[in-house]
Amino acid sequence: MSLNYIQRISLCIISFLFAFLLDLQAQDTAAGKNLFKANCAACHNKDMKSNMTGPALGGVEERWAEYPKEDLYAWIRNSQKQISEGHPMATQLWDEWGEKGGQMTSFPALKDDDIANMLAYIQQEFTKVPEAVETVTSTGGQSKQKSNFIYYLLLGVLAIVALVLSRVISGLNYIQDVKELGPNAKQRTLWDALTNKGFVALLLVGLMTFLGYQVVNRAMNLGRQQGYAPTQPIKFSHKVHAGDQQIDCKYCHDGARRSKHSVIPAANTCMNCHTAVTSGTTTGTAEISKIYASVGFDPVAGKYIEDYENMEEDKIEEIYKAWIGAKYMEDNDLASLDAKGERIVREQWRGIKNSLTNKQKTKIQGGIEWIRVHNLPDHVYFNHAQHVTVGKLECQTCHGPVQEMEVLEQSAPLSMGWCINCHRQTEVKGFADNKYYAESYIKMHEEMVNGTRKSVTVEEIGGTECQKCHY
Amino acid sequence: MKDNQQKDQTWIGLKDISKDPEYIAEVHSEFRDVPISKLLVGHQNESLTTSRRDFLKILGFSVTAASIAACDAPVRRAIPYVHRPEEIVPGVPTYYASTYVDGGDYCSILVKTREGRPIKIEGNSMSPITGQGTSARAQAHVLSLYDLSRFRQPLIDGAKSSWQEVDQLIVSKLNSGSKIGIISRTILSPTFKKILAEFKTKYPNTQIAMYDPFSAAAQLAANEKSYGIRAIPNYHFDQAEVIVSFNADFLGTWISPVEYSADYIKNRKVDPKNPKMSWHVQIENNMSLTGSNADNRILVKPSEQDAAIAYLCNALGGTPLGSTSVNPEAAKALDRVATKLKAAGSKSLIVSASNNMAAQLMVNQMNDILGNLGTTLDMNTPSYQKQGDERSLKKLISDMEAGSMDAVFVLDGNPAFDNPWAGAFKTAAEKVGLMVSLATASDETAELSQVVAPKHHLLESWGDAEPKKGFLSLIQPTISPLFDTRQAETSLLKWSGAAPEIFEDDQPYYNYLKQNWLQAGLDWDTSVHDGIAQGSIPSAEVFSTKALPDLSTQSSTPLNADLELQFYESINIGSGQHANNPWLQEMPDPVMRTVWGNYLSVPVTWSGGMDYDSFNDLKDGDFAELTLGENNKTVTVMNQFGQMPGTVGIALGYGRRSVGAAGINIGTNLYDMMTEGQDGLFQYFVADVKLSGKVGKEKDIPAVQYHHSMGVTDIDPKTGKKVNVDEITAPSIKKGYQGSLVDRSIIRRANLEDVETFIEELHEERAKFEKLNSKTLYPYEEYKENYYEQGHHWGLAIDLNACIGCGACTVSCMAENNVPVVGKREVERHHEMAWLRIDRYFYGDVNNPNTVYQPLMCQHCDNAPCENVCPVAATNHSSEGLNQMTYNRCIGTRYCANNCPYKVRRFNWLDYTTADLFPINQPKLNGEIFGNDDLTRMVLNPDVTVRSRGVIEKCSFCVQRIQDGKLTAKKEGRALKDGEIKSACQTACPTGAIVFGDFNNEESELVKNIHNGLTYQVLEEINVRPSVNYSAKIINRDHKLDA
Repeated sequence: MSLNYIQRISLCIISFLFAFLLDLQAQDTAAGKNLFKANCAACHNKDMKSNMTGPALGGVEERWAEYPKEDLYAWIRNSQKQISEGHPMATQLWDEWGEKGGQMTSFPALKDDDIANMLAYIQQEFTKVPEAVETVTSTGGQSKQKSNFIYYLLLGVLAIVALVLSRVISGLNYIQDVKELGPNAKQRTLWDALTNKGFVALLLVGLMTFLGYQVVNRAMNLGRQQGYAPTQPIKFSHKVHAGDQQIDCKYCHDGARRSKHSVIPAANTCMNCHTAVTSGTTTGTAEISKIYASVGFDPVAGKYIEDYENMEEDKIEEIYKAWIGAKYMEDNDLASLDAKGERIVREQWRGIKNSLTNKQKTKIQGGIEWIRVHNLPDHVYFNHAQHVTVGKLECQTCHGPVQEMEVLEQSAPLSMGWCINCHRQTEVKGFADNKYYAESYIKMHEEMVNGTRKSVTVEEIGGTECQKCHY
Repeated sequence: MKDNQQKDQTWIGLKDISKDPEYIAEVHSEFRDVPISKLLVGHQNESLTTSRRDFLKILGFSVTAASIAACDAPVRRAIPYVHRPEEIVPGVPTYYASTYVDGGDYCSILVKTREGRPIKIEGNSMSPITGQGTSARAQAHVLSLYDLSRFRQPLIDGAKSSWQEVDQLIVSKLNSGSKIGIISRTILSPTFKKILAEFKTKYPNTQIAMYDPFSAAAQLAANEKSYGIRAIPNYHFDQAEVIVSFNADFLGTWISPVEYSADYIKNRKVDPKNPKMSWHVQIENNMSLTGSNADNRILVKPSEQDAAIAYLCNALGGTPLGSTSVNPEAAKALDRVATKLKAAGSKSLIVSASNNMAAQLMVNQMNDILGNLGTTLDMNTPSYQKQGDERSLKKLISDMEAGSMDAVFVLDGNPAFDNPWAGAFKTAAEKVGLMVSLATASDETAELSQVVAPKHHLLESWGDAEPKKGFLSLIQPTISPLFDTRQAETSLLKWSGAAPEIFEDDQPYYNYLKQNWLQAGLDWDTSVHDGIAQGSIPSAEVFSTKALPDLSTQSSTPLNADLELQFYESINIGSGQHANNPWLQEMPDPVMRTVWGNYLSVPVTWSGGMDYDSFNDLKDGDFAELTLGENNKTVTVMNQFGQMPGTVGIALGYGRRSVGAAGINIGTNLYDMMTEGQDGLFQYFVADVKLSGKVGKEKDIPAVQYHHSMGVTDIDPKTGKKVNVDEITAPSIKKGYQGSLVDRSIIRRANLEDVETFIEELHEERAKFEKLNSKTLYPYEEYKENYYEQGHHWGLAIDLNACIGCGACTVSCMAENNVPVVGKREVERHHEMAWLRIDRYFYGDVNNPNTVYQPLMCQHCDNAPCENVCPVAATNHSSEGLNQMTYNRCIGTRYCANNCPYKVRRFNWLDYTTADLFPINQPKLNGEIFGNDDLTRMVLNPDVTVRSRGVIEKCSFCVQRIQDGKLTAKKEGRALKDGEIKSACQTACPTGAIVFGDFNNEESELVKNIHNGLTYQVLEEINVRPSVNYSAKIINRDHKLDA
């Protein structure tokens, strides 16, 4: 009997703990999230489970568990220092990631609290169950968490009530049995109740439902890459070009007007401006030289190099090293390269070589291998011209505030639900003026003209039918 | 009874008309339900046997593979151009005008390229010769560009070499005294001929042998004698009211079929208000494509052909050059033909494929008597599409044999295979100092050449052609050479020691060609843009028959043999040069409806009731021994209606041994059974062959006419009458609703004289259907008003009278829609993937039937039965009337295919295009993996999804073209014009039989077409409301010929 009592109490505690566990860290994760977004999200995947430029951060504390906490904190602030000090974990990480990920940026300004918050956020994201549809940001987040808490509380109370009631019934049954059967009667213990077939079946069904739900949700998210912001071979800043310099998107992405592809501009499009602009606002010669090396432009002579296709690599190295050095000397009013200058020349050349070559492409010359940020599955047909030229949409509608992005990231989920939703809500622009619509959809057009209809949505002219995008 | 039995039915083949119980059972069950065990017997494919352990292994593997594959999204790279070419916008196709030339086969084409790779060939509507039309071969030529068996670099003695070495070797072996042989098929290029002449100047002892595997040497000689010009007349089939063809398959393979079919059909489309059409009689023994389209066929044995010509010549008052003795039925019929010809006068045309000069002289004589010169044929703008004379090849072979040749260059053709002297050529080649082959892909001739100097594929080359006097055509490259190959012209220039500075340019022949055109006063830029030009180019007479002996002016006498064998050219693979093109191999032969091989057609005769006798009791797919003297071959036979008793027929060009994976050992090679005539010209028949009875049975008999049957006519066993399912309730028949007890409206046809009554009956019946169909639970009218009458409502009109069955549309469809090739064994299992099939039905006289071809694709029913049964709504209807198929939603239940009355849905049983990701899945074609490599995949249309294993697919009405057309109109802010959107099948059709359009556009050609009075819908009685309308087949059969 006493054992039963203890079981009952512990069960209550466990169920309460379970309900609260997720919410315990709530106070510091919000700050951690902001810090993570500002400092880490460019290289580390925010789902914490998959690798990007840097490794997935989920479970990072466990991995560092055998070292003092300070080591991890120091690593986050300045990884290179720890590597040079020969910390075993640091060296191991550098061996594994140094080549593909490169150096991790140092964050000396981060306080211990900040790091703790970030780690809490990382842990939360890592263990969290993905929600079916994640809304944009955290404004609604708090009240949502509160209401969740109430649900958990209610669930707990109900569970206790159910347990108490079942025990009461069991007790009453026992009393009845004692009356009828005498001392042979046996009370059903809690253990009996929990191991009875019905309960186990219920538990299994519950578990299966939960797992099924998880599988479906996760499967739906497979291949979706919202927030994907890979490091590109050239640190091209949309913020500088589209934001600060106000260059029209379609100047470079000229396919958007007339083709299904928006088209990543050819290097010669870059050269339209960069024959004159030879040094970047934030990166100096480091990034622009990569374009030159790709197309074979000699910025010192101010002209394209003849027969660049067949040029030897050391010759190319000579040309661009000379140019970077000259530019450095010019910028710093030096007559010859100092030690720093030499290091910069070396580093930038290495940058050029690493960005423009890989296992398959061993030559510096030729196209720049950008990493595609927006990927649609093969069974989806998307046409930029339809949306940009005919639908007159702003690029930002789907691509987000590109003009503010230092590193381009996929802002929309690019899921079918997202597409369909927009097709349902968006009105067809120019339905009244574009002769195509006027002469094809006569009835609707007449209704528009005589005022009985205000607008036509994309859905109403068949924009949500399967074979508008899948064929 | 006999008349009824013979005239009132339509059938598809022997199994159908003789009510073969096995076949009927198969049709009744609708879907072949072959037990797995039966499929496994005799097939070595172990992948089909699955034990429980295997199942668990595969299950475990696939779960693990799926989870591994899902772990990390791959990094996809996008590599822009460094300097983007001005004419390329990624994602937007660029079209180049060019020319398809294959020997004398000619077609002016547009090549569609995407991101610099050719993916589709279409007709060039600016061409006055072939117009918008194309042939299946032209359509399929784009695939041969990405052929894995192409030579990737020059070879010396089979080892990889370089052009420098090849040039050195060849030039070192040649001197001005060298005796050189050059072998080629017909050369249409005037500039190439000029280069050949230069070569001949450098090496004066050069002997040029020009031959055509399907020769017109006798006709050329006859024309030279009759008209003074050694060329083919310019035929105007559109001007002829009576067309008499002696075994000339002018709609399928003879000289210029694309051009002729377009002309021919102009006089065959029937306007019900003024019913008039030409009368076409075909005199032949095996049913050719042209014969199947003829109004009447007169059956004569191959050896009687010349006599039949002589007989007609005599009847028309000419001088017969030889025996006029033909079989009595034919004689009677030919008398009638003579009467009709005399009545038509100069509006008639006689053509013959005979390779005896006497016969051709008589044909010329008859055309002259009738006054046709100047009306239906002229020699002012003659055609140069056949120029060869096989005797020149024979002479060269004997010179080679004598060991007197220092070098032989094979520019074009495959002399070690495609002629009866191939064996002699092979032995003779060993005695030649230097054998050089310029083949693009591996073939029998290249195999025995010391040097292979591969030329570019046509789509990588510059070139020109003059198919007709004064009509020029340009070939321009549409892709940089994929491999280290070189223009044949450049090679010849190099070997003939042209000035070295011309080779400093990347494209020496381009400069040469341009210079040649400019010197002729032609506008280069316009010509390159249009692909065609009018004018003439200075050329050189490089080939002449003057040295060859004169041909006999007496025609041969008929032979009294028991069995004669006719050889013919297949529409698919020609003389064998297209054997490695899987699109063509899988395109069914229009008449026999077989794929992947050549089959001996044996005659079938009616012996009363339901009984039919076939020769030696041979049935479809039986092996039989074909013997000619010592030569003995095992062939597969097919029963063929319309084949003359006492004759059998088979296509040449099959059975190649040295060729790429798709073509190797497909069919039987029969060139060695061919003989030469008294003058040394090819004869396409042999008399006195022996054919054994059944000696075995082929495992895979891919006869696709029996696949996807829409039901056949039957007789109610109780009443003995024909029944319509609408009149009798399904349960009382107990044979199944969609089985054979349905007199279904699939084919509608009439004779010209009955057109008026036919139209009346048709309208009555359609009104009856309409009444029946109006009683529906579906709110069809509501849909119609709210959806279909808004925006667009797409539809097709198909004119059965204009469809000649050539199959160009089916290949075009495969190219446009990434339809996979499945191979012979899969076809035999009814797994062919073609979205568009051309059904062939016979009707009328069982012993000499007429034929109708019916292109059948998804009918896009507005009341579609397939849509209702899909459990996941993967197929549903669009507001534009399209029956949409969403592949990524399909889970492969195949309910839709079961429920489709037209049987047009196809299931991906295997992963045909991307299986190399999981090699265990790779389907094999002819024992080799096909289509799963990056080279072949370059032909894919990037706008169409590549379907994976386990999903249904079907005709989409080329929805990618619809969307593209709409977008263009929207971008330009204008209404969509009629004819702006054309389906791929429509663009390929040489006769304009297929018209795509919008039902909501009252002015459209589609709407005009469907109001022509002859329109009907297939299976209209079942109320599925198809969007495809057919115009009934009308023929002009002269029954007086039958009597």
